[in-house]
Amino acid sequence: MALLLQILVNGVLLGGLYALMALGLALVWGVLNIVNLAHGAFIMLGAYVSFYLFTLLQVDPFAALPLCMLSLFCFGYLLQRHVLNLIVRAPMFNTLLLTFGLDVVLMYLAQIVFSADFRVVNPSYAGANFSVAGATIPLVRAVAFAVALTLTLAVWLVLVHTRLGRAVRACAQNLVAARLYGVEPRTVYALTFGLGAALAGAAGDLYGVVSQISPYIGDALTAKSFAISIIGGLENPLGVVIGGLFLGILESLTSLYVGPTYTDVASFGVLVLVLILRPKGLLGRAA
Amino acid sequence: MTRRLLWFAPLVALAALATVPWLASPALIQFGITTLLLATLAQAWNIIGGFAGYASFGNSVFYGLGGYGTAIAMVQLHLPFGVGLALGAALAVVFALLLGLPVLRLRGHYFAIATLALAEAMTGIVANLDIAGRNIGLVLPLLKGDALFYELSLGLLALVTLTVFWISRSRFGFGLIAIREDEDAAAVMGVNTTLYKAAAFTLAGFFSALAGGIHTYWITFLDPISAFDITLNVMMIIMAIFGGAGSIFGPLIGALLLASISEVLSTEVTNLASLFFGLVIVVAVIFMPRGLADVMRRFKRLGWRYFSQNVRENRL
Repeated sequence: MALLLQILVNGVLLGGLYALMALGLALVWGVLNIVNLAHGAFIMLGAYVSFYLFTLLQVDPFAALPLCMLSLFCFGYLLQRHVLNLIVRAPMFNTLLLTFGLDVVLMYLAQIVFSADFRVVNPSYAGANFSVAGATIPLVRAVAFAVALTLTLAVWLVLVHTRLGRAVRACAQNLVAARLYGVEPRTVYALTFGLGAALAGAAGDLYGVVSQISPYIGDALTAKSFAISIIGGLENPLGVVIGGLFLGILESLTSLYVGPTYTDVASFGVLVLVLILRPKGLLGRAA
Repeated sequence: MTRRLLWFAPLVALAALATVPWLASPALIQFGITTLLLATLAQAWNIIGGFAGYASFGNSVFYGLGGYGTAIAMVQLHLPFGVGLALGAALAVVFALLLGLPVLRLRGHYFAIATLALAEAMTGIVANLDIAGRNIGLVLPLLKGDALFYELSLGLLALVTLTVFWISRSRFGFGLIAIREDEDAAAVMGVNTTLYKAAAFTLAGFFSALAGGIHTYWITFLDPISAFDITLNVMMIIMAIFGGAGSIFGPLIGALLLASISEVLSTEVTNLASLFFGLVIVVAVIFMPRGLADVMRRFKRLGWRYFSQNVRENRL
């Protein structure tokens, strides 16, 4: 029983980070209809920003969060403004291919610039933990979980309650109508993509604290973010929280009861099932 | 007269390619085998992706199943290579029918993601199967005969291209194109969309599995990660689109060009090769989104404006 509780806690903590990872991908997908295959590479970049701030300037990884987000925001904004906006109206294949090309470029650039070594962000409190009701909770994971959920909630509030959020949602629903109401899609698209990249940067910063960084972590993270977006559905930004927690708990349970090598089978098996049975996500209205 | 010459051109090219093992260096023959197999995969993807318009990321599953069918038959059951190929192809066909039917109900991104997920799940499943050597993989008996593998690959490529040629002028092919352009309209016009899509998926799977089987026996080794590698699937798509998806020779030309570029790059600038490859993809998607086949058709009339027109058509 204690073991099960511990596993569930681990799953929930992992799930919070998963939700933040997927949020940027789901946002860009839902609004711009671009499935960004380079999303995991953005997370990787965010992790490296945090790593270099920590090792070179001794900036605490949690304090570095806004810097990671800002740098990735600028990167994403410029990328959408000057590259991705060129192919937004092209068929789906082309956007997939373009972002895949970007993914390859970023991955190998990172390999050349940062080297292929595994890196860790290791602040003095990395090993600290506390226990609640018999379950041990690592401090950094708990804080990462809290930060991830706060950011997710903040993005949701921005989307629902601000002028920019309404413009973004308007573009997602009907581009022509949004234009008629004075929304400039080029800017809104770039802002949205920048925001998605900033969220990836935040996820990367937190990922660096709880796990190892290398130039090749991106693809697996993109795949996970996909799975979470699909399971949660794209209609509601809070869907990724459900999707993230679901996947985190599912992976923890699978590795305990079936075996750690089966976690990918379980998560992608569930993904296929969700796609076939509820294509609009667990929260989405049935098709 | 010119029309008749056009008909003969592919045959002459085929005959010329068939003589390569007697003339070329071993390194060139090996490059040839890799390129022929990649071209086969791109052409097989062309059936489901180019004609039916379904962006399959699951073709590497077929490739992997073909490889594993061959490896399991030869290593665990001590059967000859031919039986292994057949087993691999049979596995792929069964997989295409069983999972294709539910997955092909999905459209657009959702189909792409579902097939991607299938590939990831297959990696995990095979890594846990004893008969497939778990995550260590299987080592096949060594057969020194690059010429044989070359001719086999060439034959397979000819076969899949012939099939695509047949598709392009058959009722089946027109049905697939109708599905690509507007699936609901195709259904209304009396195209049995489920049957057509499943058939296209199965055909693509069949040829990909044969390519996987040949490749596995050639390199005599197979493990789950390389067998179901998503990157390979993306390569197929890029080659097909770069050359011109939905055309007959586009995927072949795309495969030849891109394989050559990446071969030259990897000998000239080893660690920059993949980087340049990524850049080639980005530039090609922006400036020639309909592939080389379309460039050849329209560049003569439009000149350099062709590229700016492409950008203008697709930009926001």
